[in-house]
Amino acid sequence: MKAMKISYIKYIVKTGAAFGMVATLLVSGCTDKFLDVDPQGQQPSQTFWSSEEDALKAVNAAYASLRTWGNTAFPAIAVESVGSDEAEKGSSTNDATYFNDYDNFTVTSTQGQLGGFWEAQYQNINYANQVLDNVPAISMNESLKARYLGEVKFIRAYSYFRLVRAFGGVPIRVHAVTADDKNVNIPRSTADEVYALIEQDLTDAASVLPTNYSANDLGRVTKGAALGLHAKVAMYLKKWESVFNYTNQIMGMGYSLVPNFERVFRLENENSSESVFEIQCALITGNKDASNSQYSQVQGVRGVTGGGWGFNVPTQVLADAFETGDPRRNATIIFRGETTPDGDVISPVGDNPMYNQKSYVPFNLYVTGYNEGAQQNVRVLRYSEVLLMNAEAANELGNATQALASLEQVRARARGSNTAILPRVTTTDKAQLRLAIWNERRVELAMEYDRYFDVIRQGRAAEIFGPKGWMAGKNEVWPIPQTEIDLSGGLLTQNPGY
Amino acid sequence: MKKIFTRLSGGAFVFFLILGSVFAQQNISIRGRVTDAKSGEALIGVSVKVKGTTQGTSTDVNGGFTISAPGTGILVVSYIGYQSQEVAINNQPTINIKLQASSQSLNEVIVVGYGTQRKIDVTGSISQVKGADVNKQPASDAASALQGKVAGVTITNSGAPGATPKVIVRGVGTIYGNTNLLYVIDGVWYDNMSFINPADIENISVLKDASAQSIYGIRAANGVILVTTKKGSKGRTVVDYNGYVGFQNVTNQVEMANGTEYATLINELTSSSGGTPIFSNPSSFGTGTNWYNEILRRAFVTSHQLSVNGGGEKSTYNFSFGYLNQDGLVKGNNYQRYTARFNNEYEVAKFLKVGFNITATDSVSRDVPSDIWHQIYSAAPIVAPYNSDGSFGDPYNISNGALGSSVQFNPLATLEAYNQKAKRYRFTGNAYANVSLTKDLTFKTSLGGEFGQYENRNYVGVYNYTKNQVNNVSKLSIGRADTRNWIIENTLTYNKKFTDHSLTVLLGQSAQRYKLYGSTASGEGVPYSSEGDLYLKLASASSYNYKDDGKLTTVASYFGRVNYSFKDKYLLNASLRADGASQFYNGGDLWGYFPSVGLGWIVTNEGFMKDQQIFDNLKIRGSWGKIGNAGVPYNPTILTVTATPQLSAIFGPDQKLYPGASIDVYPAAFLNWERVAGTNIGFEAAFLTNRLNIEADYYSKTTQQTIFAIPVLSSIGLKSDGGTKRVANQADFRNRGAELSITWRDKTSGGLTYSVGGNISMNNNKVTKVLSGNTPLLTGGTGITNGASVTRTVQGRPIGEFFGYQVAGIFQDATEVSGSAQPGAKPGDFRYVDQNGDNVIDGKDRVSLGNPFPKYNYGINTSFEYKNFDLAIDFQGAADVDVYNANIAYRYGNENFTKDFFDNRWHGEGTSTTYPSVAVGSTSNSAPNSFYVESGSYFRVRNLQLGYTLPKSILSKWKVNRVRVYANAQNMINIFGYKGFSPEVYGASILTSGVDANVYPLYATYNFGVNLTF
Repeated sequence: MKAMKISYIKYIVKTGAAFGMVATLLVSGCTDKFLDVDPQGQQPSQTFWSSEEDALKAVNAAYASLRTWGNTAFPAIAVESVGSDEAEKGSSTNDATYFNDYDNFTVTSTQGQLGGFWEAQYQNINYANQVLDNVPAISMNESLKARYLGEVKFIRAYSYFRLVRAFGGVPIRVHAVTADDKNVNIPRSTADEVYALIEQDLTDAASVLPTNYSANDLGRVTKGAALGLHAKVAMYLKKWESVFNYTNQIMGMGYSLVPNFERVFRLENENSSESVFEIQCALITGNKDASNSQYSQVQGVRGVTGGGWGFNVPTQVLADAFETGDPRRNATIIFRGETTPDGDVISPVGDNPMYNQKSYVPFNLYVTGYNEGAQQNVRVLRYSEVLLMNAEAANELGNATQALASLEQVRARARGSNTAILPRVTTTDKAQLRLAIWNERRVELAMEYDRYFDVIRQGRAAEIFGPKGWMAGKNEVWPIPQTEIDLSGGLLTQNPGY
Repeated sequence: MKKIFTRLSGGAFVFFLILGSVFAQQNISIRGRVTDAKSGEALIGVSVKVKGTTQGTSTDVNGGFTISAPGTGILVVSYIGYQSQEVAINNQPTINIKLQASSQSLNEVIVVGYGTQRKIDVTGSISQVKGADVNKQPASDAASALQGKVAGVTITNSGAPGATPKVIVRGVGTIYGNTNLLYVIDGVWYDNMSFINPADIENISVLKDASAQSIYGIRAANGVILVTTKKGSKGRTVVDYNGYVGFQNVTNQVEMANGTEYATLINELTSSSGGTPIFSNPSSFGTGTNWYNEILRRAFVTSHQLSVNGGGEKSTYNFSFGYLNQDGLVKGNNYQRYTARFNNEYEVAKFLKVGFNITATDSVSRDVPSDIWHQIYSAAPIVAPYNSDGSFGDPYNISNGALGSSVQFNPLATLEAYNQKAKRYRFTGNAYANVSLTKDLTFKTSLGGEFGQYENRNYVGVYNYTKNQVNNVSKLSIGRADTRNWIIENTLTYNKKFTDHSLTVLLGQSAQRYKLYGSTASGEGVPYSSEGDLYLKLASASSYNYKDDGKLTTVASYFGRVNYSFKDKYLLNASLRADGASQFYNGGDLWGYFPSVGLGWIVTNEGFMKDQQIFDNLKIRGSWGKIGNAGVPYNPTILTVTATPQLSAIFGPDQKLYPGASIDVYPAAFLNWERVAGTNIGFEAAFLTNRLNIEADYYSKTTQQTIFAIPVLSSIGLKSDGGTKRVANQADFRNRGAELSITWRDKTSGGLTYSVGGNISMNNNKVTKVLSGNTPLLTGGTGITNGASVTRTVQGRPIGEFFGYQVAGIFQDATEVSGSAQPGAKPGDFRYVDQNGDNVIDGKDRVSLGNPFPKYNYGINTSFEYKNFDLAIDFQGAADVDVYNANIAYRYGNENFTKDFFDNRWHGEGTSTTYPSVAVGSTSNSAPNSFYVESGSYFRVRNLQLGYTLPKSILSKWKVNRVRVYANAQNMINIFGYKGFSPEVYGASILTSGVDANVYPLYATYNFGVNLTF
């Protein structure tokens, strides 16, 4: 009995094993199915670019990209601010000393902020190109589609403008790179070619964008923004007719200056009547990742909770540049020992005598765990600059009357009710008036990342920055990031002198 | 009843018979001589024992012995290198014994992939290490005990309690993704063996060459380690206890600048950047605070392991339980691990065996912040650890924060504020069945699995320690990761010996699935009165944040192997494995085929070798094989949509968030299998009656189409792998090298048994092809060198070599600067070599600066046994290797400097021509350069262990079979020239290997232990 049972088990087991072995060797047909695993928690792109909602999300991504570190914080400060006479490194003496290399023009191509700035701009450009490449094929409301394309063209133009100012001619990418693109390594285009693309994009944008949006969409690119940026680009190209034309159009669109200059830069005046374009930033509780702007944090008052790191501080030269009694001096600079209009007492001792007030967010709005001042929008283009561009273009075109009128609007707002200060400019001498307008730009737009390239385009950099080490023929542009040149296998050429 | 009586009486009869014979026996004196059966030479120091007693002696210089033994007894004669013999005495007064040299390699069986093989039949390169040897060096992870033991294996220990050492076999095999070896533990695949109690290990096989690894095709590219755990054996129950206690002490500590020196340096630094010196009287600070003394401690470790094993006629079992409690060197750091292991095997029928192995591991670690090492290194020594009122010393109080943000911390406060606990549960093992289908044909099926859970809890409470170490809103973060893996393997083995032919054929199939699900949740405003408060439900509702992610991959495989030997002289091993992996399902070659072939010639078994006296064994072998690597990102060729919060746009007066999504990744267009092809040629030889064993290998292996992420032009605007990078088949590289192991084992006539072994390996790594042409693949180091790359991978050079400027000297004065290629430099700055002579120092002037991977690794392992004492001393080292000492220039402001830097720095004309001024952290000085590259060669006494086994005479009273006590010291003596903490730098990834920015210091371990067997 026992023997029989064992042999029975033996039979079953052995046959089972043999069958199992054969079966497993034959299942290769099913193997492919076993190996076809869905991506986990990652949406494959095939399902994207199919609806109006997808188009909107992709446009939103391009906006979101503008508030990143590379666009608003250290790289922007290095490339667009500390080279000027109005700002210097700040913070504690030995912290991030490479800013001094931008201040003193000793920077070399391997310095990391160059690459950070470059990369950030091209990321904006990719998000714009994704929309421009893929949204046209989506079946959706055509006028909305046109608007979306216009919005991202502005973003692309803005990014290329920041690149061409900083580096001169750069590689032009008007299409997003895809996985199977063979030739992604392209040489630099000339600065003229880059400017041509910028102008085309801005012309396209201005032709389709609305002059304003409903409340929920406040902060999107308007026609005014496209015209305003185009005016600025044209000003860099000395196309005065265009500058005059675009600024005149904007001046007929209902913008107005906020009466109190100091309040222009506070949270209550974000997207105000004076705002032509701002980078939208916010502190969203529970969403630290979306509250990622460090624009205010890196410039905030150092050594106090809710302040910041204290970089990019105003220089004494800037403090001295304001006319006596100009209220913009106190609105632009936080002085050590002062009490801010919002009631923050600034310690009389500390790392730096002055801080940027235009990026300042009152300390009590700080939320632990979030970036200080994450709420602060970056004012990219204000109506007062439109007026100053209008004044400059008018003067260059021989229309001193309009030049003086536009200039006076800016000075009048700064003056407020105090007639003792900031007298009306009356000179009609072209050279003198030009200088007056440039000086007005300097104080009106101080600490807004404008001064450095403004002086270069005015052709006065050797005179104004020369004592700090600026050299004509070299420092009009920064060096192309070395990593980028290396990765191009030398296809990208370095700027002269670097 | 009658039957029972008969049996009893029969038993009693036998019993009395035995008893009677014992009593009846008279001892007689026996003389004799022991000689070599072949040469007739006398053998000295041969052990001659009377079987079943402790009575014994050794032969003298003439091979002679005298022993007193019962006339009906049996002599057991044993000698190293010879086969033991048992000789019946049969009342003979003279017994001469001829011992046969044992071809020990002939009998030694080693574990190979999917089976075992006689060592003599192996044609690849496999090193086997016995569990007992691993356990001579108490360690929480058995891998770290392999250091210096196996030629060709480089092991870098991270040092942190519970951390897994980094193991590299024969040079860097792959760069990206999973760079871990494959650990096959009782047939189940893992990435590490840290969850296994080393005391449970029976033996470890390291498969070193491609032909041996090839049977594990898909995962073998980084090398394979096979681990067999202890099984029960039939017979009586044996209970073993192993325990040790010990401590760790930091050795070779780097001396930092003291208070006065620090203040002096900071004054110089501030002046050099154009500021006013902060301290009017640096000497007023005296020696200040030594932060290492404040933070580090003597770290204690305790380990207990109890195992029970045995078996009956039809089954065997082995249960073991282990407990490890290890403190970290930093106060508050602790790791505890409980392990339980069960192994059972039943012989259900003659032809059927079933069994299982289960390991359950539970570990808890109390963590310290990862940047604590850098904080201790950089903390200002002029800050008091504590104020007189017991509060933390605050750097801000020194000149109102003039020290700057980079040192605004008190490391003690950092530790106090940190509360993180990580738990890891792992339940893993396999169940298997062995069916003997016929006498020669065996079917084996195994179902293995792993259920793992990882829990991480981090709580940042509300605190106000120093001006800048303040937190007003508490935050609780909880992370979970679940692992659910399974592996099924079926093999059919045919084993047949014909007269001159011996054949083994293996056919197999395997399927694997790896699933990981992880989530993190956080909330703010969680109160803290006890650990019991740490629930997210107590967080403020608006602050909730939850994210999850998952990974899933599958692998299907088929494999086969033939082992054939003819007349035990000619060997042929060939295998083929086919693997399909889900990562390559779209846009890649789904199936990879990995063949191997090996040939061997046992020269000593040839007729013409019969009469030679030199070799006891000589085998020449050669092999070739291909292996693969699937350790690549999940679905690397699928273009996916990015929809992170960072891409949400903000609009409207209320600044609301609107979802954003787009494409910003740069997937590979097509991904091929990364393949490694390797050739190995070697020989094994035994001389002098097997006392001297030599094994030598030469190998060359190429890794083709290596997959990794490389930086791409950032103007593409796309990212992957956390930066502007792209994952693709990028490069081919080659590792070539040689290994030599020599072991001498002997026993002296005085009773000293000893062995001395040495191994050395040499490896050369070279990139043979970069798909991007001449474009170097720049990697590593961003963040610590202001964004500049420290390493590069370029054709014709080693992988990840250091790269930067060559320092020619230090600028002494302004005149030197003005005439140089660095017009922006200051006196005291590095003067770089203008390699291309264009009078500008720029990227083109960077050159190769060193290789982070050692060219030579060596180890010397010795063991001695004399009477009841045993001693093991192991030495180990690496040579021709470089380290990038990034700590020196890893500065944001007023971090502390080393004493060495203080003593040698440039501080005025003529003060130094090698060290820069305090402005060492400036952009141009901190740019990767040759000053920071130092030799990483070292030599150390890796392990020293002295044991004493108590004499049996004492033990018999205690009913204990064996008691051994030992003392052990690891890393007691370390010799190296590197100025950092440890030349063994545990890089975060292969391409940042050797970049020392924040390392666990080197420490010595002292343990005292006991082994008991009942």
